[in-house]
Amino acid sequence: MSPPRCDDPVFLNTRREALLILLLWFLCLCWVVPYSVMYGYERPAPGEEIPLVWGMPSWVFYGVALPWLLASVVSILMCLFVIKDDDLGLSPEEIEAAGNESPNS
Amino acid sequence: MTYSLLAVGSNAALVTFLLYTLAVFALAWLANKALAGKSFMSEYFLGSRNLGVWAFALTFAATSASGGTFTGFPAKIYTHGWVLALWIASYMVVPICTMGLIGKRVNQMARRAGAITVPDLLRDRFGSRAFGLLATVLIVYFMAFNLSVQFKSGSVILQTLLRDVPVFQDMTAALTAFGNNHADSWLVKQLTPQHGPVDWGYQLCLILFGVAVIAYTTYGGFRAVVWTDVMQGIVMVAGVLIMLPLALSQVGGLGKATRELAQMTPPQNATLQLQLSEMGGSVPKEAWFQSADEPSRIFWSTHDAIADTSSNLVEVRCMEVTSPNELVRIRESHEFFPATIQNVELAAAPKFGANEPGHYVTAPGPSQSSESGFLPFGIAISFFFMWALSGTGQPQYMVRLMAFKNSQTLRRAILTVTFYFGLIYFPLVIIFCCARVLMPGLDHEADSVMPRMAVLLTTNAGHSWLAGLLVAAPFAAVMSTVDSFLLVVSSSLVRDVWQRNIDPDASEKTVKRLSYWTTVVVGGIALIGAVNPPQFLQDIIVYVGSGLAACFLIPVVVTLYWPRANTAGCIAGMLGGFFAHLSMHIWGMLTPGYSFAKPYELFGLSPVLIGLTGSLVATLAVTLMTRPLPDDIIRKYFGKDEPATQTT
Repeated sequence: MSPPRCDDPVFLNTRREALLILLLWFLCLCWVVPYSVMYGYERPAPGEEIPLVWGMPSWVFYGVALPWLLASVVSILMCLFVIKDDDLGLSPEEIEAAGNESPNS
Repeated sequence: MTYSLLAVGSNAALVTFLLYTLAVFALAWLANKALAGKSFMSEYFLGSRNLGVWAFALTFAATSASGGTFTGFPAKIYTHGWVLALWIASYMVVPICTMGLIGKRVNQMARRAGAITVPDLLRDRFGSRAFGLLATVLIVYFMAFNLSVQFKSGSVILQTLLRDVPVFQDMTAALTAFGNNHADSWLVKQLTPQHGPVDWGYQLCLILFGVAVIAYTTYGGFRAVVWTDVMQGIVMVAGVLIMLPLALSQVGGLGKATRELAQMTPPQNATLQLQLSEMGGSVPKEAWFQSADEPSRIFWSTHDAIADTSSNLVEVRCMEVTSPNELVRIRESHEFFPATIQNVELAAAPKFGANEPGHYVTAPGPSQSSESGFLPFGIAISFFFMWALSGTGQPQYMVRLMAFKNSQTLRRAILTVTFYFGLIYFPLVIIFCCARVLMPGLDHEADSVMPRMAVLLTTNAGHSWLAGLLVAAPFAAVMSTVDSFLLVVSSSLVRDVWQRNIDPDASEKTVKRLSYWTTVVVGGIALIGAVNPPQFLQDIIVYVGSGLAACFLIPVVVTLYWPRANTAGCIAGMLGGFFAHLSMHIWGMLTPGYSFAKPYELFGLSPVLIGLTGSLVATLAVTLMTRPLPDDIIRKYFGKDEPATQTT
């Protein structure tokens, strides 16, 4: 006897979308942590000014603020173009309610 | 400088609080009306699965933003500086991770199973009553901790809000007199903390806050919680967006604030021996002292102190300000208490960053207790995992994922929460980096920095009435978290313990009555637990959040996405995560320099990563060693066009 087929479209779509979301998380991790470790973990030498961008330490700007902005843009694009509008089905109480309404509707 | 919330003698704060509470109750009443004619369990615990975009987005965001967001997080920024931007950085992907990774699938499977709680879903997916019960036990265990802590947090914020209201002061005075007259009574003994007298103001606020939350949650159920979350979510973002420009303008621009921070060094704990002008005199908390030597040293009292009636000498616990730029500013702008410093006894220096400028603008950030600083490299990686992924499998979020109307609602809600978190978390880092410059000397009471900053900013701007609204933001955050947790616990007990295991044929009337009473009793127990609550709010919040993630994340992910997953593997994963995570805390208790609240960091990693690793290994190993589930269950959840089952 063959194993049951796992061909539910919501399962297949969400699995694909989940992998893309994990990829986004991983790319953010690869940007934020190594950049901050390379440039954020060293104190300026005595007498030396810390470099600023828009008033914040440059490592915060390039290591956190900028990727935050880009991650937000990518998240929004994924919501608009990648995540599919799947039919999630009806719950038992919705089926019951639809059954009660149908004779009169 | 003192930080009274609103004009002394004004009832404005009380009026703000009462109006706010009235609005919450009105929403609960409307929600209760919405119950009519619908399936009680589905409506009361899940809002009939038809939440729209704004309701879903804001209830998700407001539940996520707990009291910690507006008390613990600002305190950490104030104490450690810009490194908190890295600590919170993974919030950049939290909305899409926590909602997008499992949202559609949880919603679909809950519809197919007719599930209205997380244990309900797990139980049906594996056809295992034991697995459902295990999930219930773990939810009740972790959430009970958190409920008491959040009750405390709400009461502390309410106390700050009402501190200068005459009616509240009169009631507190009356209760204090009652306490003094009945010091030997059982009640007063129960309320008395281990150190110090009963704080009657706190107890009064606890009753006010607790009764209000329990009442509207019980009466209105999930829909009331969601609607109040929407209102609270709006209050929170409004609070941050008002504070941001005020903070930046009053500090003279972000660049100036960062340059000031770059010169600062962590304060040093000390004990002063002071000579007062009179016998038996007293020294208030939060007074400034200056030594006679040149250049003078400056101290800030962290506790009240009273001299003996026969002496004018008194010992006061203080913090010494050590940053040269702060010393100059404080000398110019603050009044000093009239006392002569006889002796200074310094406590141990901060373990990381003492007398070295630059730590407030770089990682790992200064630390009083850790030699490797606030955020060493390994912990930075752990937090990137923790915020973004640990929220994914947590029951209080999953239950919301069961409640949205359709896929389009989910997509738009992720978009909304992405904007929402961007408007809250990074601006909070900016605001409270400015707070360190505007309000020096609050390291000992950093948890109160948010309300104090609200008062300072609005008073300086000439709009002190706004402080009431700004302080409502953290209050709203706590309320929206407590009500959600309360309902998760009561739904687990009613649905998963009573209805699934004790009386499956219980009538709707019985279930309804049971649901109301369970919510009241669970809330009441949490309220009693908060009478003498544990300290270290943020540590317990982190323990609960990371513990739930360690137990639930891996089993939930395999439940949704791995047809081969089975009951034994998921139970092993849940227990493996629980014990691996707990073992780090117990190891901390047994290791010098650590404690239960400060767990051991194996390989320099946070306990949540150890817990997740334990859970993953246990899930995979046990699943592959045991038999797969029957085909009909796999077909039901992974096959096309499977109908929903009839709910009980």
